[in-house]
Amino acid sequence: MPLHLTVNDEDRVSVRDPLTPLVDVLRDEFFLTGAKIVCREGFCGACTVWVDGRPVVSCLLPVGLAVDCKIHTVESLSTNGDLSVLQKAFEDHDAVQCGMCFPGMLMTLTSFLDREPRATREEIKAALVGNVCRCTGYERIVDAAFSLASAG
Amino acid sequence: MNSLHVATSVADAIAALADRGDGGAPLAGATWIMRAPIRKEQHPRSYVALAKIDELQRVELLHDYLSIGACVTHARLAAALAPLPEFRALAVAAGSSANPAIRQMATIGGNLCAAGFAAADLVPALICLDAQIELAMPGESTRVSVEAFLTMRTDLPHGCLVRRVMVPRTTYRSDHVRLTLRKGGDYPVVIVSLAAELGSTGVVKSARVAIGSVETTARRWEKFERLLIGHPLDPADVTEKATLCADELHGREGVEAPGWYRIKVLPSLVGRAVRNIRGQC
Repeated sequence: MPLHLTVNDEDRVSVRDPLTPLVDVLRDEFFLTGAKIVCREGFCGACTVWVDGRPVVSCLLPVGLAVDCKIHTVESLSTNGDLSVLQKAFEDHDAVQCGMCFPGMLMTLTSFLDREPRATREEIKAALVGNVCRCTGYERIVDAAFSLASAG
Repeated sequence: MNSLHVATSVADAIAALADRGDGGAPLAGATWIMRAPIRKEQHPRSYVALAKIDELQRVELLHDYLSIGACVTHARLAAALAPLPEFRALAVAAGSSANPAIRQMATIGGNLCAAGFAAADLVPALICLDAQIELAMPGESTRVSVEAFLTMRTDLPHGCLVRRVMVPRTTYRSDHVRLTLRKGGDYPVVIVSLAAELGSTGVVKSARVAIGSVETTARRWEKFERLLIGHPLDPADVTEKATLCADELHGREGVEAPGWYRIKVLPSLVGRAVRNIRGQC
């Protein structure tokens, strides 16, 4: 049975098994490859997307539970090719290294800074406990997020 | 292909589960079930999703108890309990489990039903707060204690599901302490949930202590509780008493920590929980 989804404000249809992890549908059927597949256990956060505005790990969300939800991936952050303020901050702080973790970091931090625009460094670090960077580039990522929080 | 029935009401879910018999199982936040292949476990032929049932999403503070629908997520529970210090152990458990993204997905019902998940944070917190579980099944509903539920959860009758959790309102002070190997975003190797009713002189009138992740299933620690009654909550004293009582425990072996380690650090965590409770006074 086809599964009707809304991804980045576009209607999409998946024909995969309803227990298929959402990340596999996003990448393999819709070719939205920003969300990365790494641990498949919900620990690394590389597959983080928003479902109804909440950051979730798409490796553990069956696509059948995402029907009727609004899904946003990292591809939705820029507008008409212009980077979001956090993406720009990542670029300015040279935060991106191998590229595996930062889409998930962006989704987690964008949502977090929307809720906590004046967050401290410690609060930013606490928000990132579910996002693992294998290059250990945390400090520059935190610097980038904190530059927005402290400028707010 | 697996089938997924998205139930729209508790009655619909009960009927669907009863109809599927051994081939069906309920699905809440899915964070445990989606990792079944990693654990080399087979999915059943069919799941009945509970996430779209409004009734299971409610948190209601009633006169005598707090009612928590089975599909309330850890994040929603933590937010709901933030202004309610009487449920502090549960608030801490819900707000510190796993990591923020998992807390947006994992549910209280799922935490209770995941029999293979020894490190579930909400379970010992609910035991120490003396919570009851309401089970819904064809034609009836029944209430059981969390401890009783843990003994029957792998053998529930067809069509039975956790409808809500009921936490009594009391004057107990409580706290929830967990030891993780990383500072955050990790499952705990030891959990202590402690609730105590203190008299006017600070002496313990009654207490409930639960431990999680130490053994394969969370449990109440009654032998230790008895030693607390009639004494002030002194961190050094309770740490010593916990050490004396720890010989009855069977530490769970795991890749993250050996069984002896869990038992060795447990008394320190008990002392930490007591310090936190004293800080609430």
